[in-house]
Amino acid sequence: MALHGPFRGRLLGPLGAVALLSLTTACGGGSLGGDSGGGGEGGGGEGGGTIRVGLVIPQAGVYTPLGEDMQQGWDLWLEQNDGRMGDYEVETVVADEGEGPDTGVPAIQRLLQEEQVDVVVGIVNSATALGAAEQFTEAQKVLIVANAGAGAITGDAASPYVWRTSFTNAQVASAMGQHLAEEGVGPVYVMAPDYAAGQEVVAGFTEAFEAGGGTVAGQALTPFGTTQDYQPFLSGIRESGAAATFVFYSGAEAVSFVQQYDAFGLKDTVPLYGSGFLTEGSVLDAQGQSAVGVQTTLHYSTEIDNEANTAFVEAYQAAYDELPTVFGMTTYDTANVLADALAEAEGLSGDQLSAALDGLGEIEDSPRGPWSFTGQSPEQSIYLREVTDEGGTLINSVVTDLGSFAQPGS
Amino acid sequence: MIEWFDSNLVSILNGFAIGSLLFILAVGLSIVFGMMDVLNLAHGALFLVGAYLAWSLLSDGATWGGFLAALGIAALVGLLAGGVLSVMTEPLARRPILDQALLTLGVSLVVAEVLSIVYGNDALSVGAPPGLAESVSFLGRSYPAYRLALIGVGLVLAVVVYVVVERTSVGALVRASVADREMVSAMGIDNRKVKVAVLGIGSMLATVAGVLGAPVYGARPGLDDTILILALVVVVIGGLGSVKGAFVGAMVIGQVESLGRAVLPDLASFILFGTLALVLVLRPRGLFGPRKLAGT
Repeated sequence: MALHGPFRGRLLGPLGAVALLSLTTACGGGSLGGDSGGGGEGGGGEGGGTIRVGLVIPQAGVYTPLGEDMQQGWDLWLEQNDGRMGDYEVETVVADEGEGPDTGVPAIQRLLQEEQVDVVVGIVNSATALGAAEQFTEAQKVLIVANAGAGAITGDAASPYVWRTSFTNAQVASAMGQHLAEEGVGPVYVMAPDYAAGQEVVAGFTEAFEAGGGTVAGQALTPFGTTQDYQPFLSGIRESGAAATFVFYSGAEAVSFVQQYDAFGLKDTVPLYGSGFLTEGSVLDAQGQSAVGVQTTLHYSTEIDNEANTAFVEAYQAAYDELPTVFGMTTYDTANVLADALAEAEGLSGDQLSAALDGLGEIEDSPRGPWSFTGQSPEQSIYLREVTDEGGTLINSVVTDLGSFAQPGS
Repeated sequence: MIEWFDSNLVSILNGFAIGSLLFILAVGLSIVFGMMDVLNLAHGALFLVGAYLAWSLLSDGATWGGFLAALGIAALVGLLAGGVLSVMTEPLARRPILDQALLTLGVSLVVAEVLSIVYGNDALSVGAPPGLAESVSFLGRSYPAYRLALIGVGLVLAVVVYVVVERTSVGALVRASVADREMVSAMGIDNRKVKVAVLGIGSMLATVAGVLGAPVYGARPGLDDTILILALVVVVIGGLGSVKGAFVGAMVIGQVESLGRAVLPDLASFILFGTLALVLVLRPRGLFGPRKLAGT
C-alpha cells in the first residue's frame, strides 16, 4: 500500500477530496420550496424534516470503480423513493474517501463537523472505517459501513454508533472453508495479498477448513499492490501437491491472478476457489474465459432467485445499462435499512437511530435475501457461486445457498 | 541440485521474460538520464499510454494486424511525446536536476489522470496476438508462449540498442555530447537536436514496452507508478547511461522478482529493495555505472 501510487495518492488524494466534496440534493422531482435553511439540526426531525446523509465513497484512486457502483446503488434507491426516507427528505453530501485513512478520515471529519450531517454511510477501506470510528462515538452520530470488511469494525473496536450492512472478511471465507471441508476436496493451498483483509480471509478460511477436518497444503501472502506477476507463487502451489487453491484477491490483482492461474496451466489440474470479490463486477469481464468454472462464496449474486433481487437487478440495469455488483447492492440495501430505521426512530440523534436499527429484526425485502443484525453486522446467507458463460456474458451463477453465517466470534 | 533446478526452471525462464520487458522499459530511462541529464519521471506514464493503446486496438479480439498497428502507433506517439518533453525541459536545462524531475512528474500526473478519464478506472486485460495466446509445454510444465516471445524480442532490441549507441556514428555523437557538450557544439552540431533525438527514442522505448507489456500486465490506473519504480531500480542497479548496465540490471531484477520470490516467498516484499540496497552498498554507482557521475 505504501508503495502503490505514491505520487498520485499523495498529491491528488487531498486535492481530490477537497474538490469533490460536492453537495447534491437528491430529490427526484426537483421540488422548489423545500429548502429550509439549516436543515441539518438533529432536533427538528418530527414529521417531515430533512435528513442530511454523508455518503463516503472513493472517487479517486484504486477503489474508484467500487465508489461508482456504490453511488449508483444509493441514487437508484433514492430515485425509486422520491428522495425520501420515511418522513424525511434526504440531502446527500458526497465525500471522497480516497485510497486510505490519510484522505478518508479528514473527509469524514469535515462531514461531521462542517457539513453537520446526521448520519454517514459508505466507506470502502477498513482502515478508514477504523480510523474514523472514534469520531462517531464522540459526536454520537451513526455510521453505517456499506463495504469495509475488517472484523474489528464491529468486533474488537465496536462502538454502539457503528453499524455494518456488508460482510466481514472472515465470514465470507469461513463459509468456503466449511464447504470445502465437507466436500473433502483434499489439501488446499491458501493465498491472499499481505495486508489486513488478506490476513483475515486466510485466518477465517484456515480455521473453518481445519475445524471441518481439512488440511492446508501451504500458504502464501503476496506483497499487496506491487505484485503484477504471480508465477513465482504459482510454482509454489504446484510443488505443494495441493488438490485445490483458495484465494482472496480483488480489483486489478484479481484480474492478473485468475488469468495467470489459467496461463500457467493450473486451472485444469488444481481447481480454483475464492472469496467472492475474486470474480465480482468489472474484474470478471477483464478475466474473460480464464474465470469460467471458478467457484466463490459471497453474500450476493445477481442470480439469486427472489422477488426483491429480480426487481433490483431489472431496475439497476434499466438505469445504468450494466449488471449490479455486490457494492451497488449493499449501498442500495443500506438506504433501505436506514429508511426502515428512520420510520421507527423517534428522532435523528445517534442514540435514537441506533435504537431503531437495533429493533429492526429481520430485513425481509433485501435483494440478498433475508438477513438481520447480529452484533451490529449482518447475519446472512452466504452463497456458493460459479462463474458461467451465458451466451458471451460471464455471470456468477448460484450453485447453492450454504446457509446463514454471522460474523465469526459473535 | 538437479531437483531444485527442475522445480525452479519455470521461475528462471520467467525471470528472463520479465527481465526482457524490464530492459526495454529501463534502457530508455537510462540513456535519457545518463546521457542527457533529464530524469524523466513521465516514463511510467508513457508505458501506460502504450498499454492503453494496445487495449484500444486489441480489445475486440487480438489480431497480428492490431498488435503491429499498436506497436507502430505507440512508437510514433512515443517519439512525439519525447520531442515535447525535450522542448519542455529545455528552459530548465541549467537548473538543478530536481526541477526537471518535478516537471516530468507533473506531466506524468496529468497524463495518468487523462488516461483514467478516457479509459475509466477498471483494470483492463489485453490478449496476446494469435499463436502466442496459448500456453506451450516446456519440459513438462506449461508456460505462456507470449512470454517466451518476449525473451526473443528483448534480446534483439538489446543488440540493436547496443550497436546503435556503441558502434555507429550517431551513437558516437550522443556519447560525445555527454562527454563535452561545448566541444560538440563548437564542431557545429546543435546539441539540442541531439537531446530531442535521445528523448524521443527513450520515450519511444517506453511506449513500445507498454504495448509489449500489455498482454502480461494489462492496463490499469496506478500501473505507471509501479512500473516507474521498477525501471528506476533497474537503472540504479545497472548504472546510469549504460546499455550493458540496463540489460544486466533488468535481468538481475527479473530473476529477483521471479526466482527470488519463488525461493523465498516469505521475503517477497523485501527482496527487490534488499537487492537494491545491497548493490548500492557494494557499488554505489551501479554495476556498470560511470566512474564519474554524469553532470558533475
